[in-house]
Amino acid sequence: MHKRIKDSALLLTIGVLFFVFSFPMNDWFSLTMPRHQVLQLPAMFTLGIALAILFKKVNIHAISWGIAVLIMVMTSLIFWMLPRSIDLTIVYPWFNRVMHVTMLMAGFFTITVWRNIIFEIKITFPGMVAAMVLATGLALRTFTILLCSSFTLEQQKETGLYLIVIGFVLFVFMLTILFRELGRAKKEE
Amino acid sequence: MIQIDSVEKQQHRKLIVTWSITFLLLFPILIILGLLMRLNQGEWMKLNIDTFYALMTLHGLGMAGLLFSLALAALHYLIGTRYARLSVKTGYFVYFLVLIGVVGLLIATLIGKFGAGWYLLYPLPFKGGSWASWSTGLSIVSLIILGVAWLIGSAHVVYALAKEYGGFTKLIGWQYLGKEEPKEELPAIVLITTISLVPGIMSFLAGAVFLIMNLLQFFEPGLSFDPLLLKNLVFFFGHTLVNITMYCGVGWVYTLLPEFTGREWKVNKVLVYSWNATFFFILFAYFHHLYMDFVQPLPFQYAGQIASYFSTVPATAITMFGVIVQFYHSRVKWSIIPTAFLLGTAGWAIGGFAAVVDSTISINKVLHNTLWVPAHFHTYMLMGVVLFIFGFLYYLVYTNQKQRIDENARFGFWLFVFGAYGFLLMFYLGGMHSVPRRFSDYGGIAITSTHEMGAFLARSAAVCVGLLLLGLLMMYGSLFAKLLKKHEPE
Repeated sequence: MHKRIKDSALLLTIGVLFFVFSFPMNDWFSLTMPRHQVLQLPAMFTLGIALAILFKKVNIHAISWGIAVLIMVMTSLIFWMLPRSIDLTIVYPWFNRVMHVTMLMAGFFTITVWRNIIFEIKITFPGMVAAMVLATGLALRTFTILLCSSFTLEQQKETGLYLIVIGFVLFVFMLTILFRELGRAKKEE
Repeated sequence: MIQIDSVEKQQHRKLIVTWSITFLLLFPILIILGLLMRLNQGEWMKLNIDTFYALMTLHGLGMAGLLFSLALAALHYLIGTRYARLSVKTGYFVYFLVLIGVVGLLIATLIGKFGAGWYLLYPLPFKGGSWASWSTGLSIVSLIILGVAWLIGSAHVVYALAKEYGGFTKLIGWQYLGKEEPKEELPAIVLITTISLVPGIMSFLAGAVFLIMNLLQFFEPGLSFDPLLLKNLVFFFGHTLVNITMYCGVGWVYTLLPEFTGREWKVNKVLVYSWNATFFFILFAYFHHLYMDFVQPLPFQYAGQIASYFSTVPATAITMFGVIVQFYHSRVKWSIIPTAFLLGTAGWAIGGFAAVVDSTISINKVLHNTLWVPAHFHTYMLMGVVLFIFGFLYYLVYTNQKQRIDENARFGFWLFVFGAYGFLLMFYLGGMHSVPRRFSDYGGIAITSTHEMGAFLARSAAVCVGLLLLGLLMMYGSLFAKLLKKHEPE
């Protein structure tokens, strides 16, 4: 009973946060590029992760499905980082909400796959995402032409800097998984 | 010790035979590309400049990729049949990914004429006017596919070993550093595989950053990255890849050579210290590729020299000593297999020494842009890694006794070695005479003696490559027949 209440409260919190981030706070998030790309997008992804933690029984066991899902997650991350997509999310709030739902699902499915995926993919997926985020961050830092007409060049460069930091964090995360999993590895009986 | 049944061993064997045949088909083709380049430099034939650089790119990328792929596959086979449970399916997955990447590179270079060289020095891939724009994109995507394949393959092998031997610190032999004797012996191949593949995993990710940045540049030509950053990234990736290819080969020498000499080759404290030094310093040795980049911070240049010495000297010295001890008065029955391992180790020492010489800043100032550079890495790869690979391939198909009566193959082997050393000598002489590297031909060199010496040495090298190919052909007859023959399970 106690667990059910706790879960319901967590579900409610996720729902409320999703609503707050997507509706009342949407204008605030859409005001600058760093807020939109470095706060709102990861926030929705994190809510998806929280949701998956709540639904522990939803798991994807088949490796082939797991890889397919992770490729989809990566593709959606790339899609929502494209300048044209970013512009459209600012012009049309409904399109931005499509992004919110996609990121929520991406976070959710990443965890449902992560629980059972093999070590090789656990290294490759965050490694490649880290590489992608780092490369994008470096591109935004160096680009002197405005990519998204909804924002400014300064904001673009600032976003680049934050993405480089996130990329490094993801890279360290990948290394942590690598050495932790190698350290913990035990013979299967 | 893990028990692997004969069915599983057969599956592993099928996989390695597939890899071996692919290697044997591609290897001479890549050599012929090199031969065409030397013939052009020797003024015995005339290649268009765009064709020359497309061939050079394919030769470099192809050889580095092929040798590492086979080295990884050989480790997969040896470990999967002896030391840890490895998935054959993952092995095939890696194989097909590599195949896709190779086909992409073949199309990009042979049809698209992509010719930016093996390390795609930024911003050259986007500035060259002689190749189709799509070929740049295809090359980048193909390399990303290859990187992912190697990343998955390496992670798979290391993780299986960690499960079998009880964690990472045990894989790198730290249990030998205490006062007590370790309860379980660590095979040397396990130690060296880990020392090679873990830095490899890190370098593949640096390569991924480099390649994705190039991909972004491909889609958005207005971008302008810091060339120094990209050069650091690509050499961290490329240098480490080439280095660990050799170490993978050394790994199987530690395992297979004792079968011929009848002497054990155990891991001990000194071996652990020397290979652990390699594990750490290999990550920083690539700085020696950037000595000519004056904007690179000075401490990195010094770090490059120090790391180059420490990453190679201890492991090489201890392995040389080990090899000598293995052979000394061992009454080994000489066939291609132990000979290839011995000569391969010698090639590693010679090429490695030339590399260490070149990584010394004061000498690099003189040698950097000369043929000394291709001389050292060709020695290391052709007379080191390739000989280890041939030793391994013969081990796969022959018993030592049967191999000893195959006179054709033995003659072919010695012809191959003779041709190869002749070919390498021309590179070293070119370096001594300041013949520049990366020149499609020497016609434009104003100093007549350098021009003539360069062309003469290239012609001599081409003759030696002819001998080398002839030797290869003689070895191929028996190797192919044996590889394609159905193998009876033990």
